[in-house]
Amino acid sequence: MSRPPPPPPTTNKDQQHQNPSLQEINIKLIQSGEKERLKELLRERLLECGWIDEMKALCRAFTRKKGRNNVTVDDLVHVISPKGRASVPNSVKAELLQRIRAFLASTAD
Amino acid sequence: MSSKINGHVSPQPCPHLLVFRSRNGPKPFRALQDCIRVKPPGGRAAIRREPTEVPRCGTCEESSRSRLYACVACAAVFCHAPLLHSHASDHSLSIPGHEIAVDVDRAELFCCACGDQVYDRDFDAAVVLAQTVNATATTSTSGSTAMQCSVAGSQPENLRKRRRVDYRPWEPDSGEHISRGNQSIPLLDAANASLVSSTQQPWGLRGLNNLGNTCFMNSILQALLHTPPLRNYFLGDRHNRYYCQQKNGAINGTKNSRLCLACDMDALFSAVFSGDRTPYSPAKFLYSWWQHAANLASYEQQDAHEFFISMLEGIHEKVEKDKRKSQSPAGSGDCCIAHRVFSGILRSDVMCMVCGFTSTTYDPCVDISLDLEPNQGGSGKSSSAKSLNSFNVEADCMRPNQNCGISTLKGCLERFTRAEKLGSDQKLFCQKCQVRQESLKQMSIRKLPLVSCFHVKRFEHSSIRKMSRKVDRYLQFPFSLDMAPYLSSSILRSRFGNRIFPFDGDEQDASNDLSTEFELFAVVTHSGRLDAGHYVTYLRLSNQWYKCEDAWITQVNESIVRAAQGYMMFYVQKVLYYKESENQGTS
Repeated sequence: MSRPPPPPPTTNKDQQHQNPSLQEINIKLIQSGEKERLKELLRERLLECGWIDEMKALCRAFTRKKGRNNVTVDDLVHVISPKGRASVPNSVKAELLQRIRAFLASTAD
Repeated sequence: MSSKINGHVSPQPCPHLLVFRSRNGPKPFRALQDCIRVKPPGGRAAIRREPTEVPRCGTCEESSRSRLYACVACAAVFCHAPLLHSHASDHSLSIPGHEIAVDVDRAELFCCACGDQVYDRDFDAAVVLAQTVNATATTSTSGSTAMQCSVAGSQPENLRKRRRVDYRPWEPDSGEHISRGNQSIPLLDAANASLVSSTQQPWGLRGLNNLGNTCFMNSILQALLHTPPLRNYFLGDRHNRYYCQQKNGAINGTKNSRLCLACDMDALFSAVFSGDRTPYSPAKFLYSWWQHAANLASYEQQDAHEFFISMLEGIHEKVEKDKRKSQSPAGSGDCCIAHRVFSGILRSDVMCMVCGFTSTTYDPCVDISLDLEPNQGGSGKSSSAKSLNSFNVEADCMRPNQNCGISTLKGCLERFTRAEKLGSDQKLFCQKCQVRQESLKQMSIRKLPLVSCFHVKRFEHSSIRKMSRKVDRYLQFPFSLDMAPYLSSSILRSRFGNRIFPFDGDEQDASNDLSTEFELFAVVTHSGRLDAGHYVTYLRLSNQWYKCEDAWITQVNESIVRAAQGYMMFYVQKVLYYKESENQGTS
């Protein structure tokens, strides 16, 4: 297995001290392990409110309609994503947003 | 589109995967396995070259995409969002042989050309093994595992301190409005009032006299008398005692041939459902049972659970002898009414910790015996009964946010179906490694019976310390129980996730929800000490609870039942329960 060259490091250090980009926030979240914790929290909330069951049911209905052997992962992701995003309860969004804000505040340079 | 290997269904590989395999030897994903990282809190498997690697798309350098795939051929990482920009697809199209990739956050193989998930046995087994090793490595002395944490929904609802979804009261839609109007009858209709009379006791409630420490027998009999399928069988004259005796008398004139516990049950049903409310003495039944279980024939108090098992065996033996049928498969319940009602099938998976090979066995069972959680403080001391309000910090309440202290039936079932690492002194022979290896064992339910009987192991007999003790700890049990999480299909799905499902092709999908929901209808409780105790049965008829204490039957509030010390709990499949509580006749 040959390795591709590593990507060039992010430049523009001035920008970092002002509003951090999505990219930078994401890296901070991943490196501290917070992203994994947030994902786990999100999974639990979505399970509790029945969102996951709803999505499963939608996937099943879609698969039944198209036929089990005519459906790919990409098809399902394409069909489910808009419905999924639209039906996340506001309380869940708010809670996660709050967590992320708190995390960023606590790790501000 | 799928083939069976050793009874396991695995999807047919796509042409790109086939080509990849043919080019890269028998274990094309071997190097990838070294990059499997399992991290708490969820115990999910991810693919990282170094543990601290932040994956980033090689083309657009974005690390915040929701789907990032690493090409298995060259280890380059790309993002994949088919309709917006899929640099993974671009890569697979640009270099032939680079179609197979792995989702870096889910450790799942993917074919970028087909746009669909693909499977490799060895790789999936390696992921599961890594997750299992990680889970057991972080286990505390008595149990909670990271693997459990990753199984969302495995925690008992009442132990989770989480905010719930806002309550929204139900409002009928227009269709429901109409059908409500059409098919409803007023409750206080004068013509129907005579049917609904709360002062009269329901059918089949009759006290059983204690014949000398026989409350162990009376308590079980009361439960069996109101086990819906069993009740229907005998009241439906499916075992007619006169006909049976006549037949036996003709075949073999000796006294022993007339021993038939099913006939005695038939007589008992007739007596109890006759309408006569005076307490009944099941002397004939006791005598017959003594003949069947000679070692237990005495006036000493016996274990109700032992009696239950020996009774079922008794019914099975006699009926089988009569029918002279060819041996039906174990657990199918075709042999006798006792097994038809109570027999289920347990599945036991033993996985070798070294190579991941799993051997599976099926065993029939008529009930499930559950251990209560070990008490942290007590060793040899019998703990006194705990009230609902006192909390004990249990050893396996290491999970955060768990309401420690109350043992629940669901908790016991979870522990029963939890993957358990067998000690190093219990190494089992692995067929693949050809030596004894440390193993992981997991139980699950392959087939649910019509009636699930749960037996709580409250009596501990230690031959080492030559003493027995009773565990009085309170166990909370629900009135409605969904057994779906403990089925083999659920347990395996949670173990393997989106990997090859090691199901037999003919296994029922859990979409058949009706048959996993159970309703509690009888609770046998034990109070007092091990050597001087008393059995009482609570019966649930038409959603009313009745306390059956030998000859005395009284209506009680459900809170009494909830607070009682459950020893054996009987649950019947919900469809059978609701059917039986309609049109309860009164006498």
